[in-house]
Order: sequence, then structure tokens, then C-alpha cells
Amino acid sequence: MKKILGKSLVAAMLAAAVTTPAIADPVDKAIKARQGYFQNLTFNLGQLAAMAKGEAEYDAKVAVGAAKNLDLLSQVNIVPAFPAGSDNVAKKGKTRALPKIWEDFAGFGAKAGAYREAVVALQAAAGAGKAEMAAAAGALGKTCGDCHNNYRAKTF
Amino acid sequence: MDNEKTPLQKEAVWDLPTRLFHWLLALSVCVGWYLGNYRDFTTINWHFYLGYATICLLIFRLIWGIIGPPSARFSSFFPTPKSVLQYLKTIRDREPSGVAGHSPLGGLSVIALLTLLSIQVATGLFAEDDSLFATGPLSKYADANWVLFANDIHHKVSRLLLIFIGLHLAAVLFYHLWKRENLLGAMITGKKSVRKQQQ
Repeated sequence: MKKILGKSLVAAMLAAAVTTPAIADPVDKAIKARQGYFQNLTFNLGQLAAMAKGEAEYDAKVAVGAAKNLDLLSQVNIVPAFPAGSDNVAKKGKTRALPKIWEDFAGFGAKAGAYREAVVALQAAAGAGKAEMAAAAGALGKTCGDCHNNYRAKTF
Repeated sequence: MDNEKTPLQKEAVWDLPTRLFHWLLALSVCVGWYLGNYRDFTTINWHFYLGYATICLLIFRLIWGIIGPPSARFSSFFPTPKSVLQYLKTIRDREPSGVAGHSPLGGLSVIALLTLLSIQVATGLFAEDDSLFATGPLSKYADANWVLFANDIHHKVSRLLLIFIGLHLAAVLFYHLWKRENLLGAMITGKKSVRKQQQ
């Protein structure tokens, strides 16, 4: 059984290797990495958003789990995924990161700091009840938007 | 004062459906703008409900602009460069326009606001902000780049609408203070100062 599973896994990986073109450029790799990172943030915050909006039933366990993931993710050093030359002018169509990020890296870092603070505030609120979670998740969402409005282009 | 002009008299100009449309639109746009600009998980659904209400109001106004009474019909106030320029010559006169409906400049403002609002509700159906606070009901059917484009337009038109609504209010104030015409009252009671056309 294990052998079959192993073989099919190898076959699947080979198929993936054939169909997915390899990304050679290190800057392109960095862009892909950070986009995946941000998708993870959206995925976790999205669970809280759905409960806050009433699209999903509030579940303290799920909320705390998502909050914990956001806490762990916010401790990742994402700076290496923002190499020079990975802005939307140099890499047109691949990223929406504005050159302003690199021109004003301190300001960009300050927005990240505000985000981190909101994530910390979310930790206790997530399991404290729907209203508390919704308020903290809403405040967190605003720190996302505050950075996007300043450092991210609206379109590719 | 021009002696050739006939005197102004109050006449019923704005029909009830047009007035109701105006005030319901003002309400839905103002509250809708507020809830969209200051997004919150607990109220964002109302941004959409008000958007749908705005769509219904705009559809009503389009139909009313074709089959409604003369003062509400697009054909009666659709501005032309000539009519606007001609009207601008009289704008400094310290008296009501006397038009039994929208003046050419007012008509221009109506067309501009209705056009901007139509773009706003259409793009709102496709817009989304990273699927967090808001996701337009049609955004899942659209290409990702189109969603970003719609989102961008939705934000930019919201700023434009603020400017045009500001101009609208400034114009009402200008008519009140300078031209001694109470347009606000006219939109409430329906009665407007009208100068009968000379034979």
C-alpha cells in the first residue's frame, strides 16, 4: 500500500514538474513567496470575517485558531521576500507592490508594526465572544487597508 | 428689472414620485457612502442593501425620465452646449431662473450625477477588497483583473461623487443666497418659481 502511495506521489510530482514551469528568476520567486504569505493572512482573517459578518456561525475554537495562525504568521520575517527590483514598475503585471515601499521602507515597516499590534490585540478578543472578535478583526482589517492604500497599486 | 418679463409665480413642477426618488436617493447614497468608506464587518452588508436600493431607484428614474411628467423627462432638460452657454449668461442675475423644471445647468448636473451613480452601482457589483469586508455579488463570475479594475473605479467614482454632490449643494446655496430662489423648498413641496413663456 505504502509503495503504491509512494509511486503515485512520485508520479504526481513528476506530472506537476512537467506542467508547472519552474520560476528561475530569484525576484519572481520572492514575489510568489510573499503573495503566498499574504494569501495565508487573507485565508485566516477571512474565517474571522465570515463569522463577524454572520456568514458563518461564531465558533470560539475556530476564531482562536485563526487568530493564533495570524500571530505566528506575523512573526515571520517577510523582508527577504521584498528584494530590490520587485516593485510593480520593474515587474509589471506580476505584482502590485509600489516602488514607494523601497523609497520609504521605514514607513512601510511602521504599517507592518501597526498590523502586528492589531494581531496581538486580536489574540485575547478572538475567543471572548462574537462582538469582541468582530471589533478586533475589524481593527485588524483596517491596518491591512491602511497599508494597501499607501503601498499597493489598485490594479496590476 | 426687465419690464418685458412676465412675473414669477409658484407652480407645481416636481411631481411626488420625482421628489420621493430624490430624497430616497439622497438617503441611500449618503448612508451607503458612509458604510462603504468606514467599513465594518457588522454593517458592511447594509452597504450592499443600499446599493441594491440605489439600483432600483436609478432604474425607476430612467423609466420616469421617459414616461414621467414633462419636468422629469430627459428630453425636456437634456442640456446642449448652446443651451448651457445661453443659460450661463443669466447666471449672475439676482432672480430665480423661472424655468418650469431643470435649468440647462441643472440638467447637466442631473445627467452627471445619474451617470456617476450608474457607474458606481455597476462597478460595486463586481468590486471586492481582498474578500474581507466586501465582496460584490457578481465578482465571483468575473476575471480577477476585471474585479481589481472595478474596485479601482468604484473607489475613484466615490471621490468624484463627493465632489459632484458638494457642487450640487453649493449650487442650491448659491440659488438661495444670490438668486433668491428656494430650490430646497421646491424639492420638498414640488412648487417652484416659474415665469410663463411670453406669447
